[in-house]
Amino acid sequence: MDGSISISNLEKVYGEGAERTKAIEDLSFDIEGGEFVSVVGPSGCGKSTLLYLIAGFLERSSGDISVDGTSVSAPGTDRGVVFQDYALFPWKTVKENVLYGLEEAGVDGEEADATAQRFIDMMDLDGFEGKYPKELSGGMKQRVALARTLAYDPKILLMDEPFGALDQPLREQLQDRLLDIWEDLGKTVVFITHDVEEAVYLSERVLIMTRHPGTKKDVTEVNLDHSQTREEVITSQAFTDTKNAVWKELREETKSEVEP
Amino acid sequence: MDVMGYRADRESLVDALKSVYSLVAILVLWEVVGQLGLVHHYFLPPLSEVIDRFVVLTVSGQMLNAAVLTLQRAFIGLAIAAVFGVIVGILCARNAFVEWFFDPLIKIGYPVPIISLIPVFMLWFGIGDISKIIMVAVGTFWPVAVNARNSTRQVDKNLVWSARMMGTSDRRLLWRVILPAASPGILTGIQIAMPLSLIITFVFEMVAGGGGLGALEIAGVRSFRSEQVYAAIIAIMLIGIALDRLLRYARERLLAWT
Amino acid sequence: MATSTLWEAERVPAPFDRVARFAFDWLPLLIVALLWSFVSGAIVPEAILPAPLAVGAKMWELIVTGTVLPHLFISLVRVFLGLALSVVVGVALGVGMAQSDRLEDFFDILLALTYPIPKTALVPLAILWLNVGTKTAVLIVFLACLLPIILNANNAAEDVDQNLLWSAKMMGTDGRRLLWKVVFPATIPEIMTGVRQAMPIAFIALVSAELIASNQGIGYLILTSGQLGNYPTMFANIVIISAVAFAAVRGFEELRERVIVWT
Repeated sequence: MDGSISISNLEKVYGEGAERTKAIEDLSFDIEGGEFVSVVGPSGCGKSTLLYLIAGFLERSSGDISVDGTSVSAPGTDRGVVFQDYALFPWKTVKENVLYGLEEAGVDGEEADATAQRFIDMMDLDGFEGKYPKELSGGMKQRVALARTLAYDPKILLMDEPFGALDQPLREQLQDRLLDIWEDLGKTVVFITHDVEEAVYLSERVLIMTRHPGTKKDVTEVNLDHSQTREEVITSQAFTDTKNAVWKELREETKSEVEP
Repeated sequence: MDVMGYRADRESLVDALKSVYSLVAILVLWEVVGQLGLVHHYFLPPLSEVIDRFVVLTVSGQMLNAAVLTLQRAFIGLAIAAVFGVIVGILCARNAFVEWFFDPLIKIGYPVPIISLIPVFMLWFGIGDISKIIMVAVGTFWPVAVNARNSTRQVDKNLVWSARMMGTSDRRLLWRVILPAASPGILTGIQIAMPLSLIITFVFEMVAGGGGLGALEIAGVRSFRSEQVYAAIIAIMLIGIALDRLLRYARERLLAWT
Repeated sequence: MATSTLWEAERVPAPFDRVARFAFDWLPLLIVALLWSFVSGAIVPEAILPAPLAVGAKMWELIVTGTVLPHLFISLVRVFLGLALSVVVGVALGVGMAQSDRLEDFFDILLALTYPIPKTALVPLAILWLNVGTKTAVLIVFLACLLPIILNANNAAEDVDQNLLWSAKMMGTDGRRLLWKVVFPATIPEIMTGVRQAMPIAFIALVSAELIASNQGIGYLILTSGQLGNYPTMFANIVIISAVAFAAVRGFEELRERVIVWT
């Protein structure tokens, strides 16, 4: 029970007849429990589709996705998702949003309250418990989304370009926060992004997808020493090399898309 | 311009005066023209006589009775339509068969002038309260149902997915996520239906009688008391403004999070 | 998976062929008509609810013998005249108020006060001033459509992309020319939407006026045929005006599509 994900020969097809398109083709990939993996690829390669298939929001056309050995085909509390547009319940306050998963799990009042508060504090949101999403900035909303998803303790975190809508300084702050949380809580993280630097900075492995129809192009190992400061990591040789390697592969995919 | 929420941000007295000067001017003009008899008394009695008549009717209770009758009919009809409209609207969004069935009916129903059915309702249910209530219910059903259907359909799917991933079952989803998310749109439907409920009631009363502000107003014409016509219109205006404010206030309270 | 993970209806599988598709979409109406046929006569007296065929036959008769045509004509004249007037005045006022603070100051409170009055409540007043007849009907339609169009035109004018205005000014257009060359054209799509939304209102106003204050027109026919007990005629006229209203709105939508494409 460690949150491993096993994807074999995954395919996803949309539409019928003349409008049939294949979003994902014969994708096979394994993620170990507790790993932090990023997925990058050119636009339209099916990164989000892959995430939603793992999450169980979409039905796969063929192949298998298994979590800890059991096939998954529907949403479940073992896989929490963080969306790019936050998806907070606008009619609920910050606290009520974070409490949601706990309520659904049947956790009782006092305990739920304490747990929710813990995660609110963890995401530096204390003081904002009673605010509605409309009163929050983008960065704060994403922190609420994270707190909400973490609160009910899913083994796996699926993140769909969560920091894409935020500006650079905020993004960096949240990236570091995410790493801290990951180290503390030991969850499996699957992180979608189009930002190669972000992918290399955060993950242990980077899955590079081909252009549409998406399949596994390559997997790059990342070996960075995160005991250093952010500055040091970013300017290290390892970072630059890995980043360039990933970039090279991505460029190939994008180029072949542009040229006939 | 902000007709819906008439600007309350004007602070200084000068500003306040500037915003109402046209109204004041017209009221003054009305009184002057009326008093001077520049227009025949029948067409435009002086403002003071209209107000006088208004007061008389209010004091005698006639105005109140009429208003209560009209409002009762409109509200009860609207309430019925609201309940059924929301149910059907949500069902349309949820169930493919219901949607298939109602879709052409809604398309047809939209531009059809529901008012033209008043004689039919007079035929079927007579000219009393029940008939008016049913007519209002039928007439206001459409805007409520359509808005309920559309806003339910447009619930952000990420919200639904979030709830699902956190363990919400199908059954609970309606109450915990769909309804709250769709509530702004549903309330809008009811806000749109409200003036319609009044229109239907007024016209029905003018055509068929049976008390109410519409009947009171048309009685003014028939008995050559034009002050009564104006007085009834003023009453209608006051009620309309009050209802509009009420709904707006209710919306602000209920939907503070929007 | 049996149910969709979203909370929405899977579309009922529909035939792709256009004709079959059309029939499929409108089939519920046929079902309602069949139900109606059944109820009429069997459950409810034929007098109160004439069978659809009887109504249809009556409609045909009314049209062919020409009895309904003069009334239909006058109703149409009234509604289109009222609507046209409200568009002219409404757009002028709405756009004017967006451009001129003084105009806005003058009319703002008047509009705010008259907004909550259902204009059909003014029918008796119109009778007072203009007697029963076409003038009253046109006035009521005009008043009913005026406010929505003013609001719509006002919003449209205020929404005009600032960059468009600056580009034009930079190229030397100013003042009144700016109004004609940039503001009006830019607002046409939104205004047309406003007119389209005002059309059902126009028809409601028309029928209201004709039920209460007229000796001609479809509304009048509906009322009198009901009073005389000619129920098939009453229903037939209702169908006629409904069909006309429907056609008018659809027709306008088509028109709007074409105009927008050219603009």
